[in-house]
Amino acid sequence: MLVRRAIFGLSPIFQVSDAGAACCAPTNTKIAPERDFCRISFRNARLAFALGFVLLACATCTRAESTAIPHGTLELVAENQWITAGHDFNLGLHFELESGWHIYWINPGDSGEPPRVKWQLPAGLTAGALQWPTPRRLGTPSIVDFGYQDAVTLIVPMHAEANLGLREPGKIAAQVKVLVCREMCIPGSAQLSLALPVKSESSAPDARTRNLFIAARKALPRPAPTNWKFNLDEERGSFVLNANVGREINQANFFPLAESQISNAAAQKLVPAAAGFRLTLQKSDQLLKPIERLKGVLTLSDGGSYLIDVPFSKTGTAKN
Amino acid sequence: MKRLLLYPILIALLLCTTSALFSAAKVGEAAPQFTATASDGKSYRLADYRGKYVVLEWHNNGCPYVGKHYKSGNMQRLQKEWTGRGVAWFTILSSAPGQQGYVTASEENEYVRKMQAAPTAALLDPTGQVGHLYDAKTSPQMIVINPQGAVIYDGAIDDKPTTDLEDVPGATNYVSLALEQAMGGKQVATTTTRPYGCSVKYGEATH
Repeated sequence: MLVRRAIFGLSPIFQVSDAGAACCAPTNTKIAPERDFCRISFRNARLAFALGFVLLACATCTRAESTAIPHGTLELVAENQWITAGHDFNLGLHFELESGWHIYWINPGDSGEPPRVKWQLPAGLTAGALQWPTPRRLGTPSIVDFGYQDAVTLIVPMHAEANLGLREPGKIAAQVKVLVCREMCIPGSAQLSLALPVKSESSAPDARTRNLFIAARKALPRPAPTNWKFNLDEERGSFVLNANVGREINQANFFPLAESQISNAAAQKLVPAAAGFRLTLQKSDQLLKPIERLKGVLTLSDGGSYLIDVPFSKTGTAKN
Repeated sequence: MKRLLLYPILIALLLCTTSALFSAAKVGEAAPQFTATASDGKSYRLADYRGKYVVLEWHNNGCPYVGKHYKSGNMQRLQKEWTGRGVAWFTILSSAPGQQGYVTASEENEYVRKMQAAPTAALLDPTGQVGHLYDAKTSPQMIVINPQGAVIYDGAIDDKPTTDLEDVPGATNYVSLALEQAMGGKQVATTTTRPYGCSVKYGEATH
């Protein structure tokens, strides 16, 4: 990263050009120049060594340029340098947003909508469900949304079949529709692409995206420990979640995975208990049928964030 | 310094408690009464529309979800169809001054003219009073009230919570469905949905 930045410190000598598009063949429509080390044309002979260096970097190019979205950028990134036929691997949708702007969690809350992806994949590649990091509570006192500010990476688990052709690079394309909001909302659309070589040997991680994936995994809620006990009941228009987590908890927040189960804006009333807590969640006015279980992300005062799935009205163990 | 912090906290608390104290509109219950001034300068009282079906449409001209229904002509079509069948249709503008979607009466009249919109009236609600009364969360949130004055539908305009114009033709319109069913003497099948769209810009402090 530092090396790349250093190269771009010399940016006036490079010119963005389609003529130089051979190395990584990205087809993104808009390009952030600082990351555009794959598309340069040679302008000054004295700097041939620099070009050579850049070409070297391009030989294992798994990081495409970022594409502009309203008030931010979006980039399709790969964790590994190449795809290994017959193996699973990870891609990521990395969003960077201007200060104050946000995008939405899988359950957007009272307004907005989550990003949606349409994959265009070669035969033999399949994309799994997006993995959603723990969101934050956004909005106002009466309208509460769930989403992400600043930067977020949504990991996409991918599968490559064993018969995936080795000759051609795996061309991965995705059309992403995303709503970016601050006090106002702007819908955006980005066409992303990435070409990864396909090899039979086991894949090596890409140093350039390593930190992004480490941060993305750290931001994901973890499955709740199996020895934690939850109980879900109801009481006068509210769900009551009792948790036994082996220690007193003074602060907790629940983010429901499904829309229209709880009132997003209502205060979540917590009563600490010796080995956990009792959390009262006001039901949503839009909830018409009884629910069988409450699934979502529980954040605790210690900063931990856990996936819970609690069946209704009998003591159950949290399941992933 | 600490005193300065106290006031916003008190105001926030007040806002939280008022919205909780006066329980908002609920499907199956009487629609909360209101009087509001429209962009045509006249005053409209909900009580005067007893005996008629009433549709409330939350509006913000800068919201892309609202834009989908106006640019496609869907909202205007609905307004014309249902007012033509005796329904009173109120477009409600609950954006606070300085917020997206806040307009003056003449700006709203110009918008209605330009978009060839056909509501019974466009109610100006810059204090958010009517919005909070109905706990309107988004634009375009839709509410249908029956001739007896009860809320029979509260939620999204249709089943496609997107900003894409191409999603309009294939969508199931919940407002039309509720009106058709109720007018046909049937039970309204879908009475409550998540009202998709942009948050209503009440001008509250953000979190």
